[in-house]
Amino acid sequence: MDATFTIQLIIQGVLLGGIYGLIAMGLSLIFGVMGVINFAHGQMMVMAMYVSYWIFVLLGIDPYLSLIVVVAVIFVLGYFIQATVVNRIIDYPEAMQVLPLVSIGLILENLALLFWGPDHRSPQTILSLQSIWIGPIMIDVSRLVAFVLAIFITSLIFLFLKKTNIGKCIRAASDNRMGAILVGIDVNRIYNASFGLGAATTAAAGVLLLPLMPISPHMGHDFTLTAFIVVILGGMGNLLGALVGGLILGIAELVSTLFLPATLKQVVSFSILIIIMLFRPQGLFGGKK
Amino acid sequence: MPRKKLGNMNRRTFIKTSGVIGLGVAASNFGVPKLLRAAPPTIKIGSVQPATGPLAVIGVGQRRGNQLAVDYINAMGGIKSMDGAKLELLLGDSESKPEIGRSEADRLIKAGAAVMTGPFQSGVALAISTLCEQRQVPFIMDVAALDKITDKGYKYTYRVFITVSGLLNGAIKYLKMVTEQKGVMPKRAVVTNTADAFGKGMSGGFVKFLEKSGLPIEVVDKVQYPLGIHDLSAEVARIKAAKPDILFPVSRPGDGIILTRELYKQRVELMGIFGPGSPGWYEPDVIKALDKLIYYVMVNVPWINPSSQVYQQANAAFQKAHNRYLDTNSAYAYTGVLVIADILERATSTDPEKILAATRQTNFTNHPVVGGPVQFDQKGNNTGAQTALIQVQPDQDLLKRVKIVAPQEFVQSDKIVFPAPQLWKR
Amino acid sequence: MKRYHIFLSLILLILVVLPLFLDNYILGIFVMVFFWAYVGQSWNVLTGYTGHISLGHALYIGVGAYTSTYLAQVFGLSPWFGMFAGGVVAAGIALFLGFLGFRFGLRGVYFVILTIAFAEITRLIVSHVEALGSFSGIFLDFEPSFWNFQFSGNLPYYYISLALMVGSLVAVYIIEQSKLGRFIVAIREDEEAAQALGVNTFKYNMLAIAISAFMTSIAGVFYANYIFYLHPNSMFGMSLSIELILRPIVGGLGTLFGPLIGSFLLTPLSEISRAYFAKGGLEGLHLVLYGIVAILVVLFMPKGIIVYVRRFLDPLMKDKK
Repeated sequence: MDATFTIQLIIQGVLLGGIYGLIAMGLSLIFGVMGVINFAHGQMMVMAMYVSYWIFVLLGIDPYLSLIVVVAVIFVLGYFIQATVVNRIIDYPEAMQVLPLVSIGLILENLALLFWGPDHRSPQTILSLQSIWIGPIMIDVSRLVAFVLAIFITSLIFLFLKKTNIGKCIRAASDNRMGAILVGIDVNRIYNASFGLGAATTAAAGVLLLPLMPISPHMGHDFTLTAFIVVILGGMGNLLGALVGGLILGIAELVSTLFLPATLKQVVSFSILIIIMLFRPQGLFGGKK
Repeated sequence: MPRKKLGNMNRRTFIKTSGVIGLGVAASNFGVPKLLRAAPPTIKIGSVQPATGPLAVIGVGQRRGNQLAVDYINAMGGIKSMDGAKLELLLGDSESKPEIGRSEADRLIKAGAAVMTGPFQSGVALAISTLCEQRQVPFIMDVAALDKITDKGYKYTYRVFITVSGLLNGAIKYLKMVTEQKGVMPKRAVVTNTADAFGKGMSGGFVKFLEKSGLPIEVVDKVQYPLGIHDLSAEVARIKAAKPDILFPVSRPGDGIILTRELYKQRVELMGIFGPGSPGWYEPDVIKALDKLIYYVMVNVPWINPSSQVYQQANAAFQKAHNRYLDTNSAYAYTGVLVIADILERATSTDPEKILAATRQTNFTNHPVVGGPVQFDQKGNNTGAQTALIQVQPDQDLLKRVKIVAPQEFVQSDKIVFPAPQLWKR
Repeated sequence: MKRYHIFLSLILLILVVLPLFLDNYILGIFVMVFFWAYVGQSWNVLTGYTGHISLGHALYIGVGAYTSTYLAQVFGLSPWFGMFAGGVVAAGIALFLGFLGFRFGLRGVYFVILTIAFAEITRLIVSHVEALGSFSGIFLDFEPSFWNFQFSGNLPYYYISLALMVGSLVAVYIIEQSKLGRFIVAIREDEEAAQALGVNTFKYNMLAIAISAFMTSIAGVFYANYIFYLHPNSMFGMSLSIELILRPIVGGLGTLFGPLIGSFLLTPLSEISRAYFAKGGLEGLHLVLYGIVAILVVLFMPKGIIVYVRRFLDPLMKDKK
């Protein structure tokens, strides 16, 4: 096989993987703290993309600039979902937790359809078509920016969890819920904030993806599944693992197109997933079980 | 619930009797002042389209096309042979899934649909055609292309749209025309398609037709990707590695944009993009989003006939109602209902047998799309269905960029650009 | 108990004679009510009773549908026999999945994801097998006859689906009463405790998943010959897996009548809301409402609607002492 082609695929895989990592980190955070899987994760990301898109179209503000606003909006959405729904189901058996979250996904997806119609929307931002060439290898600028920002945001969240008071409370609630309650932490509010933060993270990923792909109401579900795979790969609740897992998945998916039809690349990801679950259920880098 | 009693009465006999009663009432009312006369009965047409799901953008347009035609027929006085009976459109949503399409169609038939139309997707069409055979309701499809649907020999299924083999014949014909006229011949080609029934049937068929055509074009790679894909960077890298001269994409709305941008970014050198027949290249959203990048793309497609009166009138009404132009799919949805109205006019009844008899006699010329008169052959396919070759060309007005370049009688621009300048040199 | 028996027999009798008064469309809705109740019950055998959640049950529907249809199209085998072949294949896959899941101790979320992964992989593989129609799917020819499992009106489908539903009810009732059933419930309540007491949890988990898969695959055969079209995305896809768990959860997870009650409530609801909002401009609203109802039920009636049904019925059904 063509060496240029292979290198090209690996580079694209790494860049895409950084964004996968950011999407999955939100999921991992939510799982790590509350032990629930957010089946509406991808749909939340799509919501963020729509908000960002409309700010761009109506006010002419580039997605990168409106990032903070969009993230705040989706944080509130996540906070609200946790406060109204997820807090009530946290002690339910897992089978009962699945349905409300799946339903939230269904609601978000169809609200998007109801409000914004079924069209594929694809804004052409300043960077949409820019590319850098290193010899025969092309690097897509918006992908590169997305990758760099994804790494940056990931580091910010790390710092936030390590250094700030709320961050410490989140970690405490995650490690030991009863203990956190005993030392006087308002666990429900911490949970709300954590879900909000998880949602905000995926929102950031959505904004970074906006210049790369058209949005449509029904695209969320695929990203939910991608995030699952990445999180299992990196270890449930392990944030750094999510980032590395994202990179691995990004590369695996793209490189597999060397020897498999593109339509089968998910078979590769799911197979990796099963093998990891069987032989290293704590993920490659350890996590909660 | 007085209707429940009709349970063991066959739906058809019900319609027949109510029709007879209706006519009787109308007849005995001669001489009674107009105001007191019973309103003419309505005739219900069931339309199942993918109004939600990945094809929703098309499905919603289809519904609007159907509705526009119904409103038009009603404004012109309804079905005159049936005492000015008004048409009523019953809407169903297939959610882009065959099984839902089937149950929606069943609901509409129950609600009294005398004729069914729709459903854009071939899979849904197959599900509904079987149902219509079971329920004995005529099914006049506006859009759905797979040959298989009418190959089954069902009695109640007819299609106004073109078949896949019709599309492919058109594609080869125009490809020959362009290469001859321009005196250039691409050598290596890549065919791409979305992985769904239509995409696979079209691209597989195209490769075969191309081999048989005698054109010296070799298909060096086939790239297939899932419906609703978000990222085509790997696929385009693969296309680039195959070093094609020409690209034949069978796409769906949305992937045309991703594909073209990726071709631009990866600097894939092509003589041009030639669509054998699929959406994704002529929708106003796509034209607007891609701007210069979509110039000179050629697509072989069943197309609107912009110079026809019917189209101009329908388009004006459509623009007014929905602030977008009547595209080819919606125009076919519009045509479908016009054809049904024409059939009903000649059937003079909603009895399925009479409708079928009238359908077989159809010769409908006054429609808004490129092609000859609508006539149905033995299988139920429209022999007048035809494709046009369109090319996106520079124009100040966004909506005028799509030009018909063949066949001769419909041409809007006689200048075909091929080979096209590379995407990044525009 | 006696009164309950009379009550249930009465309902069954009503359902048996009901078609005399209904037209084809309403019959069709009942067919879907029975169908979803049956599928829900089949899923319930695994998830409701053992507590291992499957979000990939569409897999078995697909396997049943594809196996019987393939055998019918290639060998002319009647779906009445093909359904057993499909059942065996489905049970085989389920046992493999179960072996991996239970041997390696995948619990909770991990088991859920394992089931999703199996269904998705199967979907993608079937999408690439030419003999199974790959992406185009398989279109069944409509040749009505009893042998072909195909009928012109909805009436035969009504009785077949009713029989499936009642059959599943009886089967699950028998399982519930048996040693198997008691062990399975013990596993759900506390798998480790059950193991400590000497229950071979692996064996009973495997039995439960095999029975569940076998039952589900028969629904696939029915579906194939009712819809006449098989597509990997709709037969193995996650939306089908989600759709089929809604009813038993809303009705009452792990209860005998939960799936039925859920289906009798939700199936007409989804049918009516789709019909009502199917007019232009409100695309998607019915799914929003569907989602809201599902959330409300889980939040405010976590044990399912069956609790309220019983609260109402139990006093009426008490036998005189």
